[in-house]
Amino acid sequence: MAERTIRSPLPGIFYRQPSPDAEPFVKEGDVIQPGTVIGLVGVMKTFHQITADSGGRVVRFLVENEEPIRPGQEIAVLTDAGDE
Amino acid sequence: MLEVRNGGFETTVQDYPGRIGMLSLGFAPAGPMDDYAFRFANVLVGNPPGAAGLEITAGGLVVAFHDERAFAVCGADMAARLNGQPVVLWRSYRARPGDVLEFDYLQGAGFRTYLAVSGGIDVPPVLGSRSTYLPGSVGGLDGRKLQAGDRLPLGEPRVDLGQVIDRRVRADLIPGYAGYNEVWEVEATRGPQADPDYMTREDMDAFFSHHWKLDAASNRTGYRLDIYKWQWARTSGGAGGGHPSNIIDNGYPVGAVNVCGDQPIILCIDGPTLGGFICNAVVAKAAMWKLGQMVPGWSYIHFKEVSLEEAIELLARQDASISEENLERS
Repeated sequence: MAERTIRSPLPGIFYRQPSPDAEPFVKEGDVIQPGTVIGLVGVMKTFHQITADSGGRVVRFLVENEEPIRPGQEIAVLTDAGDE
Repeated sequence: MLEVRNGGFETTVQDYPGRIGMLSLGFAPAGPMDDYAFRFANVLVGNPPGAAGLEITAGGLVVAFHDERAFAVCGADMAARLNGQPVVLWRSYRARPGDVLEFDYLQGAGFRTYLAVSGGIDVPPVLGSRSTYLPGSVGGLDGRKLQAGDRLPLGEPRVDLGQVIDRRVRADLIPGYAGYNEVWEVEATRGPQADPDYMTREDMDAFFSHHWKLDAASNRTGYRLDIYKWQWARTSGGAGGGHPSNIIDNGYPVGAVNVCGDQPIILCIDGPTLGGFICNAVVAKAAMWKLGQMVPGWSYIHFKEVSLEEAIELLARQDASISEENLERS
């Protein structure tokens, strides 16, 4: 099944966890649902949630924690939940 | 009436010049961050240049028209579409009842775009202005950013719709925006606390030559720049405090570069009106619009020193350029 990507609508700093000491929202291999939060973009002193528009298995992240991102940048790759 | 179907990331009602004359009472002016694009959008649709319109930050707004109106979008490209058809920036269009205007995310350089509708947004003025001052929850629509379900009242258009649609801003007056990792040149005067009393000559030379990175944690209140190891002309702030950036509290100019410890922060149009840190420079009013199109976390600033007389001349030329005479039929 074709892989698909989750993009950020916003520029800013990408965070994989809700706070510096917390676990990441999702990890590689996790099966997620539509609407699952996969990270945050921090810009203008506010944090915007990046959510998956479709469900599936998280294959990999294309952006490191705390990396600056551009609008439309691909953040993570999903595949169907049954695929390994 | 304009119906909000999606408020986007941060969309607010603003007018120009905002809530002025109240700095002594602690009120920042608010208003559009890019007043150049904002005023031209109004002129395109036959409004006074300062009429209330929408500031759309980083995209995502969706609105539906309930009346026949002229509208124009000026500023950053967010791939605006009217009923699915691309809307060209810096141009006026006709919208009919039921038409839907959608903004996607940012498509390139720039950060904010402005929607003007003929007649203007007719929310009640608060302390003389319709501008939204978010930190104080004042003005605009209930003092907040827009959200789905909001209904924005519109004023009576001044002129017939047929006279103001299908017009565009002359091409040479449409500004180019510095892109990601690129440098904006921003005209600024030396500020009330510069050299030789507060900073050294070398500090000011560095200030006007360095390429300052705009931090992602920058907004309508303040634009944070990188930490710099200043020499300072004094060893302490004296009665104002222990650090040489401290002074006894005083009023801050809008657009001041406020140096707090080692960190310079440009005080924007929602910024603090007083405090106890030095201001070594002030952004020329005619250059304030550039701040509105910088991308937090990505843009760089080179401050170009201008005299007070030059700053006044720049503003006079800018104000004169935002005029019906500089529109063409499209």
